[in-house]
Amino acid sequence: MTRKLDNTTRYERLRERYMNGDLDRRNFLGLLGAAGLAYGVQTPFARYANAQGVKQVRFDGWGGVVSEALRENAFDPFTKETGIEVVDGTFGGGDEYISRVKAAQPGEYNVAHLSGVFDYARYNDLGLTTELNEDNIPNLQYVIPKLTEAFRKITNGTLSCVPYDYGTTGIAYNRKHISDEEMKEKGAKILIDEKYKGKIAGWSDWRTRIWFASLQTGQDPNNAEDMDAVWDAIRKHRDLALKYWTSGAELMSLLAEEEIYVTEGWSGRIYALQEQGHDIGYMDPPNGYGWQECMFVLKGSPMEACEELLNFMLAPETSIAVAEGQNYPPALDPQKVDLGDKIPTLPAFDPSGTLDGLTFADPKYWNGHEQEWSKEFGRVQKGY
Amino acid sequence: MMAPLGWQLIRGWAILVYLFMFLPVAVVVLLSFNASQFGSFPMTGFSFRWFVELWNNDAILRAFQTSMILGALTAVISTTLGVLASLALVRYRVPGANAVTTMLIAPILVPEVVLAVALLLFLNFLGINKSFTLLLFGHVIFTLPFVILVVQARLVSIRRDVEEAAMSLGASPMQTFFQITLPLMMPAVLAGGLFAFTISFDDITGTLFWKPGGVETVPTQIFAMLRNSISPEINALGTVMIFLTVGLPLLGAAIARKISNKGGT
Amino acid sequence: MSVEAREARQPWILLSPALTAVGLLLFVPLLFIVVYSFWLRTASGADQVGFYLDNWNEALTDAFYRDILLNTLKIAVITTIVCALMGYPSAYFIARSKGNKPLLLLLLMLPFWISYIIRTMSWINILGVSGALNTLLLWLGIIDEPIQMLYNETTVILGLVHYLLPFMVLNVFVSLDGIDTTLEDAANSLGATRWQAFTQVTLPLSLPGLAAGSLLCFVLGAGTYITPLVLGGPTDAMFANLVFEAIITQLNWPLGSALSLMLLVVLGLLVMIYNRYLGMAQLMKGLG
Repeated sequence: MTRKLDNTTRYERLRERYMNGDLDRRNFLGLLGAAGLAYGVQTPFARYANAQGVKQVRFDGWGGVVSEALRENAFDPFTKETGIEVVDGTFGGGDEYISRVKAAQPGEYNVAHLSGVFDYARYNDLGLTTELNEDNIPNLQYVIPKLTEAFRKITNGTLSCVPYDYGTTGIAYNRKHISDEEMKEKGAKILIDEKYKGKIAGWSDWRTRIWFASLQTGQDPNNAEDMDAVWDAIRKHRDLALKYWTSGAELMSLLAEEEIYVTEGWSGRIYALQEQGHDIGYMDPPNGYGWQECMFVLKGSPMEACEELLNFMLAPETSIAVAEGQNYPPALDPQKVDLGDKIPTLPAFDPSGTLDGLTFADPKYWNGHEQEWSKEFGRVQKGY
Repeated sequence: MMAPLGWQLIRGWAILVYLFMFLPVAVVVLLSFNASQFGSFPMTGFSFRWFVELWNNDAILRAFQTSMILGALTAVISTTLGVLASLALVRYRVPGANAVTTMLIAPILVPEVVLAVALLLFLNFLGINKSFTLLLFGHVIFTLPFVILVVQARLVSIRRDVEEAAMSLGASPMQTFFQITLPLMMPAVLAGGLFAFTISFDDITGTLFWKPGGVETVPTQIFAMLRNSISPEINALGTVMIFLTVGLPLLGAAIARKISNKGGT
Repeated sequence: MSVEAREARQPWILLSPALTAVGLLLFVPLLFIVVYSFWLRTASGADQVGFYLDNWNEALTDAFYRDILLNTLKIAVITTIVCALMGYPSAYFIARSKGNKPLLLLLLMLPFWISYIIRTMSWINILGVSGALNTLLLWLGIIDEPIQMLYNETTVILGLVHYLLPFMVLNVFVSLDGIDTTLEDAANSLGATRWQAFTQVTLPLSLPGLAAGSLLCFVLGAGTYITPLVLGGPTDAMFANLVFEAIITQLNWPLGSALSLMLLVVLGLLVMIYNRYLGMAQLMKGLG
């Protein structure tokens, strides 16, 4: 039987040889340094080697109010019950996060707050999905079935996430300058109306741009036939637009400071503006862009701990607190759970729990064209 | 002594430049007392609420602490490495000095997002996990060029004969360095340290990729907050920092002057 | 060991910590990027390992990348010139003033205490339609309608100058501060005018600082992506935005790698040229 050398025995051996005069001082110190280096490099590994006793779970999300609500209502009670700590981190966007995951070691990231079914599909394509044991997440029964179905379709009936909230990207407009009637009449086409040149903005996200261009050209956003028309509409919008925004903060200040009169916008952010008393209207045009967010468990994570954490996160009081913080309705079925007073007033909220009025992006269609379109949009955006 | 007109032009110009630099600062300070969330002018009211919210926001205060520690450590390490390297490049005949200088400046030639991803790929290859130390070294790498550029520029203008005089009077190279060269290049060393600190304090891209779990700096915290909306708490934090870095020294100087005036009369 | 050998070894001892750090944490990782640039992104987002020249072919032949690279260099040059024009006199003022120099320098670094994004976004509060400047002009009655000043190339340059100016001033200051003022006095006493003394004594001696500052401004200006994102209009983009988009938005690391190596080579060549003609060695020869 060979005995594995650990660093201590290695050191003892070296010292012995040095004492015996086998090694001169210089070599001894050199080897000692090398051993130290090896020890330093290996130690961080040790944490993963004995992963049986899970000490912590890593969660990544949007920070701010969402993370505060989760900390108070889900993470702290979870730690109290299981002794497992939740280390929480933030990201600035879904694209940035997937890049970080791609460059990370398996198991480094565990649970993440992801946007969109297409994002779920992207992780699936990269082989990063897991299979949740749904028996460990009893609170899943309160979730709107339509939301869960969308994910099951991608991962052959199983789930690697739980739906968490949903919202829409509709059109936000300054009611001082654009009347509700005009909005209703023009719909998505108002974003390419010459009349508002220099007072239009848009999200610099290629999916949103193509979605709205499909609406402007009278096509099905989940199956546009005439892509040339779509790109032309995007170009037209680009030439009329003052600015492509990249974050909710920019969206809100562009509207609040009247830098622009009309743009697409995220329902929850526009609601926050209305809450503060700004006279901003919000409209979901027919076939408007609906989306849902989920809590995703990445490959290599401690499954049971993550399932239990998801259950805490789905608990009605947690879901409601998060929803009220970010102004997006929770994934819970209003027919089964009492969602309180504020949530029914949120835009995109569906009291029936069927979500029939919302159109979601078809992941197959969008991910199938992702490589080509995201690149093409990069060019069109810059004036080509 | 100075030709008054020329000097006055220079002073006027400098004042304009300072005004330009302070404009955004003034706006941030002003808006930190704004009653409403958005910065439309004229302002709608005066309020301390963002300072109260800042005080209650543990996440930002913790991030602030991390940023300060990270910045200070980065400044110390980066300045030390930078001074040593600059000494070698300016004071010795190094074969291929041009190439070496370019190599040392390279960290700011690579787009930061590439540097960030590259370093992570390398660490994955070695099987090393993210840690605070890694984040620190990442920051050292891209602050190093700033230190080297500024210290070299200063060293070039310190004349060798001063050092040689000291040596000929019997000072050892060590003594010469600490008693002659170092004091002479101190402004550059301090400037380099200041650069390193502020750049580390302000960095987003690299930090996003390298930060280990549970570590947030002020910029990464802000970056995540952008999705919802930036709250003027961030402006309040800026106001507090500006007061600490400028207000206190100014106050101290004023008090010192007052005391010395009293002593004089 | 001979004295010469020790003399030859000494600089390398001094250089070794910095070179080790840069070598290990930059150049070795960059090899991964070089390798990546020959891979391919597949439709599913995973990378296809192999040896493909497609990315390089695209990066080098497509006019799209060349145009944006040239535009980026143009913006960086303008920014550097503006920084030098604004920064040199200010640095001169600080170096020759009798006031509290450390305080003056610290004041200049003040904007850095406010996070870069916030600082950049605060220009919107200044130049926006309901910003401070428009409000002031309206109040003074100079204009009747707010002027649209934001979101174009000029505001991008403005944001960059604001970001980079302190680097220029500090570098020039450090150089100027090291110049013996008696040299100028001596030139004066020999009959030179103030202006002559400045152009023939002070300016040449402060060139290393000006050069170092310009290099920093140029390189940092050319590598920026956040400023055009915040202060630019829909079509204002710089090369680093392309790299960022390729790597983050499109998850196309192979193409992003090729693009960033392209930028690295272009900037590296410019730095080599700088070192050759304006760099330290050259200047020292002039002084020696």
